[in-house]
Parts: sequence; C-alpha cells; structure tokens
Amino acid sequence: MIEAYFTHLLILICIYLTLAISLQLSMGFTGLFNLGHIAFYAIGAYASALAALAGWPFLAAFAAAGATAAIAGWILSLPTARLKGDYLALATLGFFFVVNAVALNWNDVTKGALGLPGIPKPEIMGVSFADNTAFLGLAALTAAACFLAVRRIAKTPFGNVLQAVRDDELAARSLGKDATKAKATALCASALFAGLAGSLYAHYITFIDPFTFNIGELITVLAMVIIGGLASLEGTVLAVVVLVLLPEPLRFIGMPSSIVGPARQAIYAAILLLILARRPRGFGGRVEAQ
Amino acid sequence: MIQVLANGIIAGAIYALVASGFSLVYSTARFVHFAHGATVAAGAYFLYFLSMQLGASFWPSAVVAVAFAAAVGIAMNAFVYKPLRCRNASSLVLLMAGFAMLVLVEAALLIAFGADIKTFNAIRVEKGMEIAGAVITPLQVSIIATAAALLLGLHLFMKRTRLGKTMRAVACNKTLAEARGIDVEKTHTYAFAVSSAIAGVAGVLIGLEQGLEPTMGANLVIKSFTGTVIGGIGSVPGAVLGSLLVGMAENVGAWFLPSGYKDAVAFVLLFAFLLFKPDGLLGINRGVNK
Repeated sequence: MIEAYFTHLLILICIYLTLAISLQLSMGFTGLFNLGHIAFYAIGAYASALAALAGWPFLAAFAAAGATAAIAGWILSLPTARLKGDYLALATLGFFFVVNAVALNWNDVTKGALGLPGIPKPEIMGVSFADNTAFLGLAALTAAACFLAVRRIAKTPFGNVLQAVRDDELAARSLGKDATKAKATALCASALFAGLAGSLYAHYITFIDPFTFNIGELITVLAMVIIGGLASLEGTVLAVVVLVLLPEPLRFIGMPSSIVGPARQAIYAAILLLILARRPRGFGGRVEAQ
Repeated sequence: MIQVLANGIIAGAIYALVASGFSLVYSTARFVHFAHGATVAAGAYFLYFLSMQLGASFWPSAVVAVAFAAAVGIAMNAFVYKPLRCRNASSLVLLMAGFAMLVLVEAALLIAFGADIKTFNAIRVEKGMEIAGAVITPLQVSIIATAAALLLGLHLFMKRTRLGKTMRAVACNKTLAEARGIDVEKTHTYAFAVSSAIAGVAGVLIGLEQGLEPTMGANLVIKSFTGTVIGGIGSVPGAVLGSLLVGMAENVGAWFLPSGYKDAVAFVLLFAFLLFKPDGLLGINRGVNK
C-alpha cells in the first residue's frame, strides 16, 4: 500500500520534471516569459488520448502528442515573435485560455466538460505498462531524456545563442544571430516536451478533462521553475521534488480532498511570492528573474 | 441584434470599470497589476460575507465592501509590490507576484466559500423593460449608469484635481516628477486606492448581475487587459473604449459561435491588436518594441 503511494508520487515527480524542465528551455534559457506552457501540456494530453482512443498504438500516440504540441508552439511563436515582457506574458496566457476554451467547447472531439475517460494504459511492442512500477520506468525515462536534451541544447552553440538572446537580444542580432528563429525553435522544443508530459499524464490517470489543465497547474509549474532558479536544471529537479512532496502531509491530517487542491495551490503561490521577495534567484539560478 | 449590442454594452461597462483601474495602475506604476482581478473578487466576496452570512443590510455592506477592496489594493501594493520595486525588480517579476497573489486569493476564496456560484438576493428580479427593441432589466440600466458616472468622475478627477495631475505627472515621467518634489510611492498608493475602490464597485455589480465565483478574477484581468491594449495602453479613456469593444465583440461572437467560445473571442482580439496595431486605438506605443 505504502509502496504504491510512493510509486504514485514518483510518477508525479517525473511528469512534473518533464514539464518544468521543458519550461526552463523557453523561460530560463531563452528568456521567453511563457505563461502558455500548460496549454502545450493540455494539447499533448488531448492529442495522445484521442489518438489512443482511436486505436493508435501508444508510441504513435506519444509521438503525436509531442508533434502536435510542437506545432502549436510554432504557431504561437508566429504572432508573439515581436512581443516582449508584459505583452508576451499576457499573450501566451491568452493562448492558454483559448486552448482551454476549445477543449471545453469542441464537443464533437474533446467531449467538452465531460472529458475523455478510458484512455488505455501504455503498451509498447506487447509489453504492458499498466502496472505503476513499469509506468514509473517509462516516466523516469522521459524525464531523463528531457533533462539530458535540455542540458545538451544549453551547451551547444545554439544554446549559447538562446542565452545571448535572453541577456541582450539587440547585441545577439547585431552579431548576425537570427533571434526570431532561435526563439521560435526554443518554444517548439519546449512545447514538444510539455506535450510528452501531457501524454504521460493522460495515459497514467486514464482520464482527462479541460479542468485538469487549470491556472493552478500553471502556478505550480511556474513556481517550480522560479524556485529552482531560472536556467538551473539541478535546482529545478530539487524544486520539483520538494514542491510535489510538500503538500502531501495535508492528506494525512484528514483534510477533505476538495480542500487539498486549493490548499496546494495556495501553498505554491505563497512560496512563489516569498521566493520572489527574498531569494529571486531560487535554489540554483544563475539568472535573476527579470 | 440590438439585444446583442445591449448585452455587449452591459458586459463592456463592467470590463471598463475593471480596465480603468488596471490602466491607472499600469500608467503610473508601469506594470501589469495581475492581482487586480483578485481585488474585484475579494470585494465581492466580502460583501457576500457581510450581507448573506452575517445578515447585515445590503447597501451599507456594499459601501464597506468597496472600502475593503480599496484596503486590499493598498495592502497588495504596500506588502508585495513596494518591497519588490525597492529591490528594482523588473515589471515581469511584479507581474508574476501579482499572478501568485491572484491564485492565492482564488484558492483562499475556494476554501472559505466553496466552488459553487453565489448570488445576492438583495434586489428583486424585475421584469425587463423594452428599450429600442432590447429587453433590459432596471439592474442593468443602473449598472451602465453607475459605470458611466464613475468613469466620468475618474476622468474629471484625473484632469481637474491636483492629485490627478500628480498621477499623470508620474505616469508621464517618473524621474522628472520626483525631481519636482512629488512623492512617487505615495502617488502609487493613491493610484492603488482609487483603482481598487473602482474594482470593488465592479465586484458588487458583477455579484448582482452574474453571481460570484472564486475564479472570476483571472478572467476579468485578461478581458480588461485586452480592453486596455485595444484602447491603447496607458490611456484611461482608451481602456474604457477598448473594454466596450471587447464586451460587444464577445456578445456578437456568441451570436455566431457556440456560446462557450465567448471567452475566446477576447483573446483572438488581443492577438489581432498585438499583431497589427500594438499601440491600440488611442494609445501611445510603449513596451512592445522597447
């Protein structure tokens, strides 16, 4: 029993790791103040769920989730290429609300508020991942792949361009770097991994609805990135583990589950405020939130 | 069709109240006060607490609730924004702090009052009267009248009084205003007080017209930001005009699309304006290409 509970927590940690580290790529390394990340997570979850329910094998649905989210990232990068600061933040947040409205209202496809039940557990070449321990392996693999990929990208010359764009876009441009393209690529890659995280979530819980992807989830992943420290992957890992485990004791003091959800978000929001006020670089950030 | 336009004006009047305060803070303090929506919700729920749960009579409670909203705004500025500004935090950090406060207040309201929609039964539902082919209830007429009176008052306040001039001076050039002996921090406090009180009025009106939901704040902030961008950021009359347009566009959009997409219309407008006319209808271009 207790083992099953820990496996569940570890799976959640792996999914949030994928989500938070992919946000680091666009927000931490490229300096895009992206409030639309949960939209990519939702797009991935829906794409994967719909594909799997239509009979696609898991790997195809998983790939479709990443691809659809990446395409959405590319589409979002088109109108927002020229935007900075507040405008970018609000425009990406608007994107999140549009995606949410589509998920809620496109009844023929997403079943609207009813959500999509009965999403099959993953099965790859005859091996079933219905067991949580096996699923944890899959989630951990995805999280590790995301971590390594983002770390690798950050160290390549392309990663340097991204960080140059973050620190001084004008200077990067004057050295002949294509900042617009770099930002679009970063957003695409970031969205791709968020989509994969969404796919994992959908196949793990086996049910998704538009309310799963709410503004509270957004504050959760934002808190993870800021508390971990912008552009610090190790810090993010630490922050994800701490933030997933921190509200868990609430369950044991007999709090009803309808309160646990909002209480969790209140805790994250309060910690985020505290970090912004006291330690704006987070655990291991090299860059101050700006 | 006239009915649709009438509904648009009613929705727009409420957005305009929120947007005018939002725009006032944006122009004087130069950041997106995301928690402005939380002020609206806090004021409205305080009124619910006073009149429905404590049984106080409605109109005196409404006055207290407006004062409470102003106090909430002043407190947000004093305890969160001001320390951050003193540390020279960028506008994005302030935006994020506001976002965290919004989620914090939403979660607190959810825990305290539950997720269901709350209504005041202070005003008898009266039969609508027909004006030029549209059915409008007396409440809706008074909403439009209240909004118009308040906005006109705000306009005169900004143009005629000394404090209004001080605010415009800070909005125009903070350094110069400071050099002329204006206490900038004090001006910010006044701006927060005025805008939050107006937000409180908006909260009361929304409570009467639509009922209260813990999540009402986020939606209002996005709508009023859209109105502000459309009208031209930094211009209070522009914010009012833009908000009316948002209200109209939503209701006209709901005429052609499934009603659930109503919320998405504003964001499409936001994208369109950010893309093609980022300085809005009346505004001065600031921030987009900064």
